[in-house]
Amino acid sequence: VSTWRIHVFGVRHLSPTGAWHLCRFLDRVQPKAVLIEGLADADELIPHFTRKGTKPPIAILAYTDAMPVRTLVYPLAGYSPEYRALKWAHENEVQVEFIDLPSDIFLGLQDLEVERLERRAKDDETDGEDDGKEAEPESAADSGEPAESWRPEPGRSIYERIARRSDEPDYDTYWERRFEHNLADDSYRLASFELGRALRDESDPPLRRAENLVREAYMRRRIEEVIAGGVKSEEIVAIVGAFHAPVLTGEFPAMTDEELASLPRRSSKLTLMPYSYFKLSTQSGYGAGNHAPAYFELLWETLQAGDLHELPLRYLSNVVRFLRDKGTHRSTAEVIEGVRLARTLSALHEGLAPTLRDLRDAAVTLIGHGELSTISEALSHADVGTAIGELPKGVSRTSIQSDFERELERLKLEKYRSTVKQELTLDLRENRRVKSEEAAFLDLHRSSFLHRLRVLDIGFAKPAPTGQQTTTWAEKWFLQWSPESEISLVEAVLLGETLELAAGFKFKTRLEGCTNIAEAADLVQDACQCGLMQSMDHARQRLQELAAGSTELKAIAHAAFQLSQTARYGDVRKFDPAPLLPLMEELFVQGALALHGAAGCDNPTAQALLVSMDEMNRVSLEHHDRVEEKLWLDRLKRLADADDRNPLLSGYACGLLLERGLIPNEDLVREVSRRLSPGIPADLGAGWFEGLAKRNRYSLLARQPLWAALADYIRSLDDDQFKRALVFLRRAFGCFSPQEKRHICENLGEFWGVGREETSEALEQPLTEKEEQTLKDLNTFDFDNL
Amino acid sequence: MTQMAKKKPDDEISTAVSSNGTAQDILRAPAEVLYAEEIEHLCKEDKHHRPPGWKMSPRAVLSYICGGKVGAREITPKYIGYQRLVEIAISTLVTDRALLLIGEPGTAKSWLSEHLAAAINGDSTKVVQGTAGTTEEHIRYTWNYALLIAHGPSREALIRSPIFRAMESGSLARFEEITRCAAEVQDALISLLSEKRISVPELMTEVPAAKGFSIIATANTRDRGVNDMSAALKRRFNMIVLPTPATLETEVGIVRKRVRELATHLELRAAVPADDAIEQVVTIFRELRSGQTLDGKNKIKVPSGVLSTAEAISVLAGGMALAGNFGTGQVTANDLAAGMQGAVVKDEEKDKIVWQEYLANVLKKRGAEWRPLYTACAEHNT
Repeated sequence: VSTWRIHVFGVRHLSPTGAWHLCRFLDRVQPKAVLIEGLADADELIPHFTRKGTKPPIAILAYTDAMPVRTLVYPLAGYSPEYRALKWAHENEVQVEFIDLPSDIFLGLQDLEVERLERRAKDDETDGEDDGKEAEPESAADSGEPAESWRPEPGRSIYERIARRSDEPDYDTYWERRFEHNLADDSYRLASFELGRALRDESDPPLRRAENLVREAYMRRRIEEVIAGGVKSEEIVAIVGAFHAPVLTGEFPAMTDEELASLPRRSSKLTLMPYSYFKLSTQSGYGAGNHAPAYFELLWETLQAGDLHELPLRYLSNVVRFLRDKGTHRSTAEVIEGVRLARTLSALHEGLAPTLRDLRDAAVTLIGHGELSTISEALSHADVGTAIGELPKGVSRTSIQSDFERELERLKLEKYRSTVKQELTLDLRENRRVKSEEAAFLDLHRSSFLHRLRVLDIGFAKPAPTGQQTTTWAEKWFLQWSPESEISLVEAVLLGETLELAAGFKFKTRLEGCTNIAEAADLVQDACQCGLMQSMDHARQRLQELAAGSTELKAIAHAAFQLSQTARYGDVRKFDPAPLLPLMEELFVQGALALHGAAGCDNPTAQALLVSMDEMNRVSLEHHDRVEEKLWLDRLKRLADADDRNPLLSGYACGLLLERGLIPNEDLVREVSRRLSPGIPADLGAGWFEGLAKRNRYSLLARQPLWAALADYIRSLDDDQFKRALVFLRRAFGCFSPQEKRHICENLGEFWGVGREETSEALEQPLTEKEEQTLKDLNTFDFDNL
Repeated sequence: MTQMAKKKPDDEISTAVSSNGTAQDILRAPAEVLYAEEIEHLCKEDKHHRPPGWKMSPRAVLSYICGGKVGAREITPKYIGYQRLVEIAISTLVTDRALLLIGEPGTAKSWLSEHLAAAINGDSTKVVQGTAGTTEEHIRYTWNYALLIAHGPSREALIRSPIFRAMESGSLARFEEITRCAAEVQDALISLLSEKRISVPELMTEVPAAKGFSIIATANTRDRGVNDMSAALKRRFNMIVLPTPATLETEVGIVRKRVRELATHLELRAAVPADDAIEQVVTIFRELRSGQTLDGKNKIKVPSGVLSTAEAISVLAGGMALAGNFGTGQVTANDLAAGMQGAVVKDEEKDKIVWQEYLANVLKKRGAEWRPLYTACAEHNT
């Protein structure tokens, strides 16, 4: 069999025109065996692809069944050439096989690669911290891409180089312009064969190239097996990436048994899983069609219907229709002009038809009136769409399920997996009585795990409502297993292959939709509870973005306060709060600057702002070495001196400064008599005093000059003014304890020439009828709509 | 009429510039004169199809504007950075649609419009310069009243607008600052653009536009509120938003070049600011304009002013004037800070806080090289 030559059809994965040409090619050649580039051990899954109830997009998922989890995803859309080949083989009842390396070898190689990256990351850390972080596998994992280089069509460098040489901005446009609109018979197959050759002539990172060579040798081995099985070589069609097409002939050596045995392996499992267009579009480096699955599906549909030339019209109509549904009207004339512009743009590059890029640019110019932001939502709807795949019941056995089971075992939670509701109390502190670190922090790990389930809406674990949240180290949960939990667990695989990845992805989407500061601050805390430091960092970034655009003191102060609290968790939850602190500092500056503007408000608002001022003040006290305390004090001083702000807040600012001993006695007395001078409306004066009296009562009580000033003030009021002031003074002292009130009365009594004993005697006396009447009269006093 | 074509000998007002104008006494010659050689070369080398009324093919126009090697000659790039936008602009004109270039001050709208007209027609001078005082006559036509009274309406008495003439000759007319005109005046363009003909009822006639006619209009993003364009008119334009320079390096390059030119032009007796100073000023402008730090890690509030490249240039030139006249001749951080304050703080109460926040949260943490500028700015902002 040394000089065998089979039909090879080189494609780009997820290329609709490739699928269209492939179907015609298969019809013409009528092969006896169809061989597809795909995990060899996924053969057993083949019947599921064509079963009733299977609806693409779906994906083959391979994963290791032990830690550390490595995964491999092969997504297929309805227009994937591979999917169409499977369908064709099923309908024509011919042999069909996957011929790429089996998953255990793929994952074994991936293991090596990740270890190599980890080593490099460690080396890098010494010279450049940022670069090191980029290369860490954790960061790769967060983007849903454990190791991009292990995709069937790895890397983009050589592809980009080819595109650049043809004067195209990127490989996608290069490919679409040259391949996707070309319907001439056999041109696709021959052109992709030539492209494969050109790509092989490019220099590639040696590791990547070596991996490809290994895979190709294995594919040849599999082809030879099929030929040995009795199929004539001219009756075989192999569907592989364009890159591999030129070397699948007998002229190159096939992999030997020894070579095969020498490859590293990781024990693995395989399953099919439902996939989504959205997920597909977030994958990078995986062949054509992935960045705009809905557009390529449209392309596939028009190909099937034989009206490919209508694609631009239908695409732009989709955009306009979406906009109209959302209430933005655009005329049909603009669609027509858009198509014309797209065609001209494509002609400028000698294309047969507009590419997606031409269409998008035309849409921005015509439909968006020059602004991408107007139509970006409509564009992403037309490009990506919302399709989700389906599989018959019971087919899917996903990595996230086994990850869940593994976690239960690791955290000794298996006994809670029952339909009976059970309570679990956690103590997050280090358990010093045990030896291993794993055991010492068992409860902390459990907490992270349960919080992840909570974030993913998997109903297994629910936090028990607790009355108080004073301790940072105790948590209570209710655990109960149900079939619904199983379903939501399987659904979560769409977010990521393990619980950690899925929770990370969920955070990512929540953050993208997050529009207010409070929510972002919550997310920071959530992520911290889930033990997802990277998500926490993203949440922090989002919080920063949102806060930067806001001048709302209430939200900013609360966020700053919450960050300082989260940073306190750092101890218990074993994470480094350092990344949170710069943001807290920034928020603090913003809050300080926003104070004066916010303080010009009415009384109900002022009550809420008291809390904000208190929060700011607590942050400044707790982190006085980090935050701009001086700025805060300057701003407080300015507010305390201001006459045009809410008097309650001015008084409160004064109180905060007083508490820190920043207002000397004589200044305080001057300020009190200024605020409480007879010309000033009583409500302003008393409001100010109320604010002042909200803090540091003891220190106020001890300052005799203050009471002297107050006594003078009250003496200076005439009857009506006095009654009016009485209301506010009463409110100001309302929150004082009886003990304190008595103290005040005694103080004032001294100044009015009434002795201490006499005062207290007067206070002890029950109210006389006359006094009661006076008080009653006060209730009907007309306060001028106060 | 605001500005007449210089190549029309029968136009009354045109004499001063065209007949005896030489390169020396003209402050700035139009693009087709400045780059006459390049245009000629491109026309000669051009082998692609030329749309009706065009002097060169769309590809050649692209080469003229974005530069590159054509034949043996290197063409200087006129517009750097966004080739794709130029492609869209040219394609728009091929499809006989009118083109509207929108952008903030200093994004080369008029520059691009002039060069497009120069390359496509070899004539960039059919211009309507829009102002609040522009009337419909400036867009359509008006009369030579002496002739009108003496002989009644006649072709001789008709004074045609640049747009009218562009329609007759099948070429491009330019409309600068279209949103500065009153909305009702702008609307005179609607039927011109959709029917591609202009009627002259006084002469009981209608003049159809020759193939190749189109309009390139420019408008300021920040002026949109001044006179918004009607939806009907918007539909007749393909709109392209010209962004501010894409990278710090490009913008620093532009600023450095312009500051040098200004220094010689205005005879500012001070040394041109050091590259570091220029980069710092441009960095601050870019960050405040885009609402985030250059590394993209922090968002910041955006002040109410435009903070265009042009203003960055004037801050630096102003700093030089201060240093030259009242200082040592070396531009210090203090000289720059005064200008920065004026450029950033347009709305006293709000912008002041934005600026202070930026100074405390961003500049202060930038390290030693930024310290002098930070200190000077912080002092000016109290």
